[in-house]
Amino acid sequence: MKEWKPTYEELEARLSEAEGTLRAIRSGDIDVVVGDKGMLIMRAKAAEDALRETQKTLEAVVETAPILIVMTDAEGRILLFNRACEELTGYAPQEVLGKTVRELFLPPEWADIVVERFADPFNPTLQEPYINPWLTKTGEERLIEWRYKALPAPQGTGYFILGTGLDITERKRTEEERARLETQLRQAQKMEAVGRLAGGVAHDFNNMLTTILGYAELALHEVSPESSLHDDLLEICKAARRSADLTRQLLAFARRQTVSPIVLDLNDAVSGMLKMLRRLIGEDIDLVWMPGHDLWAVKIDPSQVDQLLANLVVNARDAIPGVGKVIIETHNVALDKAYCASHAGVVPGEYVMLAVSDTGIGMSKEVLEHLFEPFFTTKEMGKGTGLGLATVYGIVKQNDGFINVYSEPGQGTTFKIYLPRFEAKPAEIPVGKAAEMPRGGRETVLIVEDEKAILDISERILKELGYTVLIAKSPEEAIHLAEEHAGDIHLLITDVVMPEMNGRDLAERLASIKPGIKCLYMSGYTANIIAQRGVLNEGVCFIPKPFSSMALAVKIREALERG
Amino acid sequence: MTTQRDKETVAPARYHLRLFVADDEPNSRQAKETLKRLCETCLKGNYTLEVVDVLEDYQAALENKILVAPTLIVLAPPPPITIIGSLSDTHKVLEALGLPASEKNL
Repeated sequence: MKEWKPTYEELEARLSEAEGTLRAIRSGDIDVVVGDKGMLIMRAKAAEDALRETQKTLEAVVETAPILIVMTDAEGRILLFNRACEELTGYAPQEVLGKTVRELFLPPEWADIVVERFADPFNPTLQEPYINPWLTKTGEERLIEWRYKALPAPQGTGYFILGTGLDITERKRTEEERARLETQLRQAQKMEAVGRLAGGVAHDFNNMLTTILGYAELALHEVSPESSLHDDLLEICKAARRSADLTRQLLAFARRQTVSPIVLDLNDAVSGMLKMLRRLIGEDIDLVWMPGHDLWAVKIDPSQVDQLLANLVVNARDAIPGVGKVIIETHNVALDKAYCASHAGVVPGEYVMLAVSDTGIGMSKEVLEHLFEPFFTTKEMGKGTGLGLATVYGIVKQNDGFINVYSEPGQGTTFKIYLPRFEAKPAEIPVGKAAEMPRGGRETVLIVEDEKAILDISERILKELGYTVLIAKSPEEAIHLAEEHAGDIHLLITDVVMPEMNGRDLAERLASIKPGIKCLYMSGYTANIIAQRGVLNEGVCFIPKPFSSMALAVKIREALERG
Repeated sequence: MTTQRDKETVAPARYHLRLFVADDEPNSRQAKETLKRLCETCLKGNYTLEVVDVLEDYQAALENKILVAPTLIVLAPPPPITIIGSLSDTHKVLEALGLPASEKNL
């Protein structure tokens, strides 16, 4: 070969030419390489093209994949970080390349645990799903389900770790939410079950209480007030009434309480309770009452307001170990869609809020979770039934309201009850009852009751009051009696639920036989047609069992004198 | 096919270009198209272009010390300049021809 003696310029030109050639080969910008033996012309193109296409496809896949793809060297330094990773973490690739996963993404408490997993990188268990969180640039923690795989490095020794991850933060939230809803459902079913039990027990219980109370009161009239027997009988009456209160509470929480809601001003209702509430909480605790201005009306049974307040205030009292404050407030509140979206079970609209707060010990998250469950109590054995807040919950739900609790250990507790606004003028809450027992006139009363003990005592009370009394053990017998009876029957007193026919149907039948007959319903049984709807129609006369002779006397006059 | 030496225009021309290609492979085809376009736009009537297919005439490649195809050698005006690749960088080609790069040329 001819000796080649290049000039400096020629040399430089050849060098830059060689560099250009290398660049072109590397970038695939050529088709063939010409070998120095002339014959060796290599077709580099096909292989390179294929490789390039493959690489391009791979890059596109990695880049556009919706899953997180990250590759590190054996030390955890990031070599590859796809767009999904960028979007999740808020870091650009240039901010993370060369840095370790540990320093950028692992929460401190996870760092050692995760790094430990790579002690044996080729262990197949590494490919199993593994959940560990990543921190974003703003410090938010996202829950990621990872699958890792170790890849041998193409040259020499060492390996890479390829991690593919799915952001399951939302999925976890949904799962937790579902679990919470399931718990709520179970709780609702539990309440339903106890409600049935309570309903069944209450029926028999109230019948017996009516009998006890009735006979005790009748006996009281026979005994002179000076007699020691008089006091004993009074004690029996008191105990029977206390028992009746217990039954009522059971029914309330089961939402089976038969109620007669009226339109009222909650401020008036609370004011009327204050004296009693002060007695309940004792001297060491201040009761602060902050009525809201121009409060909207609500429609609720006043006795339910009493139950709500009594239960919440007693709870507040028990949460305060020494001295402290219980604050009762009312406010008008309009809840918009945004609020409702973040609070399950809340419907947008106008509400009257009743809040009871205390400065007590507060509640832990665990206690809050079980708060409204029946028979859940933090009080010591014998102190609480676990029905108080369940009752509150039941009442609020029955009135289409909802309840929120805010509490932190050591920070006190606030219960907020929201009752829907009622757009009408509130009625006067009936206060006090006639001091004198209203006596009967010449009216004839027909009592229908399948429970013999109740029938007997009712008959005796009515006769004592001066009424002419007809008794029937069944609707059929009542209809027969009415047909046979020549004179007027002024009033029907009937149980609501009886085996063959319900009280309402019976009243209609009798009205066709004796036009103008008035009706007074009585019931202690809750699983009945009226209680299924939970509410008595307005204007219907109703007396809940058990009843005192005084209550019965008053109700009979009310029913008879109604137009 | 025999050795292909296309004399695109008649001499005397100021510019003498020799392009080595490998048949109609993608980079070679692109180089041919790019170069013809540039010549027609910028050197119209004032150039000689030889296209050599190294698959047909590798001897020419050896003589010209060509390592890869496509490669363009600008033989005139001197000094000779070699450009490797598909000529996708037209700036570089125009620079080698001593022509200013303008919108019209590219």
